[in-house]
Amino acid sequence: MRRPWLLGLLLALVTVGIVAALVDSEVSGTGAENVGESGPERVTQTRPPADEAPDPSPERDCKATQSNPGGTNNYIPDAPERASLGSGFVITGLVRSAGGCRPLEGVRIQVWLATETGGEQDNRASVRSGSDGRYRIETDPTVPQFGEPNIHVGYDDDEYREVFIRRVVDLDDERAVVNLTLARGG
Amino acid sequence: MAEPRTAALTVAAAVVVALPLGLALTDRHLAGASAALVLSTTAGTLAASALALQPLLARRRRIGRHQMLGAAVLCLVLVHVGALFAESPGDAWFALSPDGPTRARMALIATIALLGVVALGALRARLPISPGTWRLLHAYLAVVVIALGIGHAVLTDGALDDVGTTVLLVLGAIGLLGVPAAHAARARRARSNAGRPRREP
Repeated sequence: MRRPWLLGLLLALVTVGIVAALVDSEVSGTGAENVGESGPERVTQTRPPADEAPDPSPERDCKATQSNPGGTNNYIPDAPERASLGSGFVITGLVRSAGGCRPLEGVRIQVWLATETGGEQDNRASVRSGSDGRYRIETDPTVPQFGEPNIHVGYDDDEYREVFIRRVVDLDDERAVVNLTLARGG
Repeated sequence: MAEPRTAALTVAAAVVVALPLGLALTDRHLAGASAALVLSTTAGTLAASALALQPLLARRRRIGRHQMLGAAVLCLVLVHVGALFAESPGDAWFALSPDGPTRARMALIATIALLGVVALGALRARLPISPGTWRLLHAYLAVVVIALGIGHAVLTDGALDDVGTTVLLVLGAIGLLGVPAAHAARARRARSNAGRPRREP
């Protein structure tokens, strides 16, 4: 070994690069926050969550929900409208309009997830929001899909901009709360 | 005395392979899983066991088994990844993308390092580098493969959780401690050989 310091420097730089690449990543993937909950189901408030609070302007607009990477994984368009996908786990949330922050009734939301009874392409359903803007569907408990239990919620009808999001939960969670704020226009 | 020692090592190696594989394949996570997911889990678990054993085989004078196991680890990792693509191409591409989770990034870096360490092993005689440089590079890449490969398995929810996580951490510790142990054994052997009188041809 003629110049050991050069090899040592090279390996130190590679190590720094590896550490930086790992630190730079998000544990569950970009934008995949944990939305799991356990315990008694709380009544979702119709006012927006703190992180989506309306602007102080008189128009009172809410920030539209953005798609996140991986949101369309295993998506098959037009999931059948179903009352339930099993029991033991609930996917629920509030659907609102970005313009005016009003709850939206009758909006078709599609959900899909892996459970003990099948993969994400098997467990999919469309569900509509009620008069208070809430949607809710019960499913079998989640199982890890590619290393972590995750759920998909999407909207791709014509009235609002499409949104496809991927969120994660813990294995012992009983519920995932995914609120959607939809914006008009392309 | 060699035979009882060999028998004990064989039993220990069988436990290192069978225990995690048994835990993974009997986990409820795989109940109703597709053949691709079972194959991927099996290949990934066997690769984790092999990573623990691989440095121990490098302690020996003859490294034929070490080379064969290295090639086997590469094949197992390729089967693991290929089966994941068969299971869900969208999820597999997402995992490998810059937006993928930390555990997938660990797996990607470990796989690149594995390709490097196998290539170093295969091309040892043809590379224009000194034996000392070769050994340092080989050991460095081996440590990256073991640390990030086992780290990937620990962060992955599914077949090896709870007790399985402890087993994985033990496998990782055996593998990581095995790397300096293999180098120490080689150095002892070199000193021992240097002390012997050379036979004249």
